[in-house]
Amino acid sequence: MLLLQNARIASEHSPELTEGDVLMVEGKIQDIGQGLAVPEGARVIDARGRILMPAMFDAHVHFRAPGFENKETITTGSEAAINGGVTGVVMMPNTRPAIDSAAVVAAVLDNAKLRSRIPVYTSGCVTKNREGKELAEIDGMRLHGVKMLTDDGDTTNDPAVLLRAMQYATEFGMFFASHCEVPELAGPRALNEGVMSYRLGIKGSPACAEEIIIDRDIRLARAAGAHIHIQHVSSKLGMETIRWWKSRGDVKVTAEVAPHHLLFTDEHIGDYDTNYKMNPPLRTQADCDALLEGLKEGVFDLIATDHAPHTPFEKAQDFISAPNGITGLETALVSLYHYFVRPEKFGWDLVVKRYSAEPRRLMGLSVPTIEVGQPAECLLFDTEAETTFTKEFMKSKSQNTPFIDQTLKGRVDLVILGAEILLER
Amino acid sequence: MARKDLLDIASLHREEIEFLLDQSTSFKQLFTQSVKKVPALEGKSVLMLFYEPSTRTHTSFEVAAKRLSAEVTNFDIAQSSITKGESVRETVETLQAMRTDYIVVRHGRSGLPGMIARLTKASVINAGDGAHAHPTQALLDAFTIKEKYPDPVGKKVLIIGDILHSRVARSTSTLLKKLGMEVAYLGPGTLVPKQGPENIRLFTNYDAAMAWAPDFVYLLRVQMERQDVQFFPSLREYHRLYGITNDRLTEIRQRGLYIMHPGPVNRGVELCDAVMDYERSLINNQVENGIAIRMAVLDWLRPGGESSSEMSAHPSQLAGQQSILA
Repeated sequence: MLLLQNARIASEHSPELTEGDVLMVEGKIQDIGQGLAVPEGARVIDARGRILMPAMFDAHVHFRAPGFENKETITTGSEAAINGGVTGVVMMPNTRPAIDSAAVVAAVLDNAKLRSRIPVYTSGCVTKNREGKELAEIDGMRLHGVKMLTDDGDTTNDPAVLLRAMQYATEFGMFFASHCEVPELAGPRALNEGVMSYRLGIKGSPACAEEIIIDRDIRLARAAGAHIHIQHVSSKLGMETIRWWKSRGDVKVTAEVAPHHLLFTDEHIGDYDTNYKMNPPLRTQADCDALLEGLKEGVFDLIATDHAPHTPFEKAQDFISAPNGITGLETALVSLYHYFVRPEKFGWDLVVKRYSAEPRRLMGLSVPTIEVGQPAECLLFDTEAETTFTKEFMKSKSQNTPFIDQTLKGRVDLVILGAEILLER
Repeated sequence: MARKDLLDIASLHREEIEFLLDQSTSFKQLFTQSVKKVPALEGKSVLMLFYEPSTRTHTSFEVAAKRLSAEVTNFDIAQSSITKGESVRETVETLQAMRTDYIVVRHGRSGLPGMIARLTKASVINAGDGAHAHPTQALLDAFTIKEKYPDPVGKKVLIIGDILHSRVARSTSTLLKKLGMEVAYLGPGTLVPKQGPENIRLFTNYDAAMAWAPDFVYLLRVQMERQDVQFFPSLREYHRLYGITNDRLTEIRQRGLYIMHPGPVNRGVELCDAVMDYERSLINNQVENGIAIRMAVLDWLRPGGESSSEMSAHPSQLAGQQSILA
């Protein structure tokens, strides 16, 4: 039994916060109101006006297991999630072996049940070993709970293969998540083509390499009657492409944006800082502005981090050799608060809708709310405290984040899942 | 105002550039004397770490180091095997153990010398990294131009060729602009960046570029080995569109323009044979000046091993920060 007093409660429906006490009993929200009586034996926490909101859900994470446990494991990845106020994740299948069969899905999920304190879901590959050639055993993966199909890390380059997969899998109620990039245009480097790529002397990847596949995959989905989800959109025209397709209404399109694409530009790479190297790459301020506009407008259904851990040794290489990706689970919520909610670019309702509710809806999961009768799955956020993202603070096995050793406003103080307090600061 | 490393041009201050160019003048005066050697770097070791083949730059650095009385060691890299960042780290750790004072590095990957500079106390001189920077080439180009025009402010330099992949174009144009000169680029649309640096005119047409009235025509070497990706249909076509043909040389001679080239030249591609005998070709001056510039650079840098620990860590990082602002 837990009584949270003097909380300000956030929901996806309104930017206004409602004040009140919340009583949780046996993992459910039993009562909400002003000045609730303290039941016998209840633990009391004074929230002191801190914000109580549904816990977050990240539909795009790389937990690296099996195969790359030196970067991340299910244990460290899920603890990192909790550290950032996230109580559910969807793993990407670019592990080794790739998550491309019923057997690998079962092994990953069994492992997760043993090693994670939060639900871990996984996507499955569209094609065997993500090679873009033969279809993976899609229905076999579905039987183990896979809903999202993706060759994330790469585009399923052959449109005929992707179209066939869509024609086949839509019958089973599965959807496709696309990492968008024409490989021949993008080249091997994750760097936006522009002033910065010229200055650094590294071949850049033009935004059109991403935009072409965004448009192509939506067209394929329309032809197949499939649901297409566009991952980590990084460019203005990419956002506008999705907006246009959504306005037509004749194809089911959802899309996500990552915090780093809202916050950073290629200028941040500076002197070859590999903590700003990811794919799709950081682009320009005009792109950041357009992505924010798209997020506020609802072009982006959800925020997802693309949490991509890499070891210090790998990231300490030169910019070209270093692998793509940055971690995000532990920094996302605090950075969204610091850079957007606090300066009133958008409200808590957007955060809850886009980083808690909509990703769960995408996955066909029930959506936690702070309402009487609902299961307790929430977090308490202190808007006045600060978080310093030191190596010691991070639970992820890797610390490849631009926020390393930075201090931002906001702190996740409490994470509750059912009857369990997963984190308390 | 000494630095530990020389990694790029963008991070150099105006005073540092002027200082290096002045010093080079003094070093160059040595060349005509019977004893060309000075003891400035006696007892110091210079290690040549070339991951890309280079005859000219390698030799130029070696001669420069020897004229300063330094010991020169060549660290031979099997050309096919080691190229990735992690192997380079291991190599640098080995070199650190050898206590070398200066490392002259050339590598195909942009930014790699900066990574090495952060890993070692030795002074690192970038002798060309990918398409990023070639600071000593830029300095010798500026020196060569200033020999012709001691006050080069407002002089115009047209750089012709593969701008997109050229570290020479980047570094030299950055330096010339710092000295108050004007720079334009000319090349096929596939090899001229659409979004280049500010204040550099972009041309894809030879006549339009010449109408801009340059004082110097700076030809870049066409990288034959890069033709796995086709940026233009044939060398013959390149020569016709962007090369200095006999007819074009006639016009250049009439206008009294200087011609420069970082070498080695491809005859019949970026220039015709006759250019080599052109009285205003500065190509050989560039080679000679390269030695003086590299002597000045070696003499100027201060390896971190013999100064405060701060020196060893900070200048390279500082250099990077300044390059963002520049």
